[in-house]
Amino acid sequence: MIRNILALAFNDLAVALKNKTIYLILFIPLFVFVSLKLLDRTDGDIGKIRIGLLQHYAYAPQITGSVKAAEKIMEVTWVQNEEEGTRLLQEKKIDGVLLSNEKEPGSLALLVLKKESLPTLAIVESFSALQKAAEGSSTSWITDIKTLHEGSIQRQTLPTWILMLVLLVGFIILPAQVAEEKEKKLLLALLQTPIREVQWLIAKVIMGMVLTMMAILFLHLLGRFTVVNLFDYIAFIMAGSFCFSAYGVFLGFLCRNQASARTIGVLFYLPHLLPSALSDFSQKLTVVAPLLPSYQFYEPLKAILLEDGRAGNMSFELVYLFLVGSFTFYLSYLLMKRRWLM
Amino acid sequence: MQLEILNLTKLYDQKRGLQPTSFVVKKGELIAVVGHNGAGKSTLLKMLANWILPDSGQVTIDGIDLKNRTAVVKKVGFVPEVPNLFDFFSVEYNLKLFAFLFQTPFPRVDEILREFNLLAFRKNKIQELSKGLKQRVNIGRALLADPPVLLFDEPTSGLDFEMTKELYRLLHTIHEAGKTILFTSHRPEEIKSLATRIMVLHKGSLVFDGSPQKYFQSEVHENLYA
Repeated sequence: MIRNILALAFNDLAVALKNKTIYLILFIPLFVFVSLKLLDRTDGDIGKIRIGLLQHYAYAPQITGSVKAAEKIMEVTWVQNEEEGTRLLQEKKIDGVLLSNEKEPGSLALLVLKKESLPTLAIVESFSALQKAAEGSSTSWITDIKTLHEGSIQRQTLPTWILMLVLLVGFIILPAQVAEEKEKKLLLALLQTPIREVQWLIAKVIMGMVLTMMAILFLHLLGRFTVVNLFDYIAFIMAGSFCFSAYGVFLGFLCRNQASARTIGVLFYLPHLLPSALSDFSQKLTVVAPLLPSYQFYEPLKAILLEDGRAGNMSFELVYLFLVGSFTFYLSYLLMKRRWLM
Repeated sequence: MQLEILNLTKLYDQKRGLQPTSFVVKKGELIAVVGHNGAGKSTLLKMLANWILPDSGQVTIDGIDLKNRTAVVKKVGFVPEVPNLFDFFSVEYNLKLFAFLFQTPFPRVDEILREFNLLAFRKNKIQELSKGLKQRVNIGRALLADPPVLLFDEPTSGLDFEMTKELYRLLHTIHEAGKTILFTSHRPEEIKSLATRIMVLHKGSLVFDGSPQKYFQSEVHENLYA
């Protein structure tokens, strides 16, 4: 009995090795390890606080003096105006900007990316401590917190959910479907008809785009999320779904069967999802993530959904997504012409 | 209709595949391609069906190169060994989908269903059918565009004695209707009375090409199957 169980277990392992499932066992811990290395702020230690101060604003001498004295924990960047501060904030070169609070003259407003974030908490705590040390009074220097990312916490997570949906269709659903058609020789059956290779590829990409858009629409209806710049939003969703659908079809062409396609799908899904979604929390990831098309989709999406950004300012990202999609589409076409792994 | 095969070659390694092979198929022939497993029979048929790209050589049908897939696709129908149909859809859906892609009018689907005794199963999903029925649907699909040449790869594989007999009857009927047929088999005795010509492949090389009478008297049959 044990002999049989062992034989079957070894056979299952051999199958897992053959269809590349076992690679996930190695890849996921390795990926988590690398991602954790790239996260530069762990256990609540956010390192130096990078604060922006306006050059032409007359901060109280206690404030500037305290900030100067706290140079070990605080790095000051002097900015020309609020616009420059906002730009550096968006580029994640600073964690917050101290502005004049118009509602309460004499006090300060803190401009940050997100209210509910580790850097915001660190800035508020540090300034509270500095203020107590300098003045000993309980009146806080910072009396208001403004955020660049508008909306509730649910809305702030929306770009991440959308990225997940787009990548799910692109890297999990489509490669498996393409590989299934190859595995069952259905694609070859279709190529026995007068259809052209490019027609089949376009149909697959359209299917991926439709699935993605349906899922996003459903998410919006369920969450009652509205979009201010609807046209810009649709343009990016279409560019992203085209890019990742074409990418997914290409991944399907690299596999002989569905099991391999699922494995390779996960291998691509995680690296595309996590660095983009985690780049908010890590300087190192902000450097690496732009290489990924998922980041070029996620950042504009975030700007459109949370900062009322316009697609006109994001033409690089649009072109990038379109080029990646077109390139992978062309590679799929070449593989299909060569009857790759069919 | 004339199918010309000139130095067609496909080698997976030095031993397996098909060595340079040339022959001509004339209208109305019913050719059995015979050989042991691994002789290169399926490789030959798959290349004729454009499933596999050859390493070298040329195939033309009525002078049109087979590489021009969309131009010849309605001239050659291929029935693979394992039926490749959309399992989770009905018989009718499968035939209509391919009829649509072939730009064949839908009444042709009804004709096929009738000719192949599939009317009772038209609403059944492919996955619910027996292997024999699936094979009938597969043959029906290959005939949708009414191609003059039909290729059958091991059409009786996995079928019992009765179903094998029925399939050979079907091949005979299709041939009688004026089609040119090439089919593979590794059991030459079974196709004795069916084929008009026998081609024998051995280790990737064409070692016999002639009438069934000549084949069964030849040393090739003796050496390979005795």
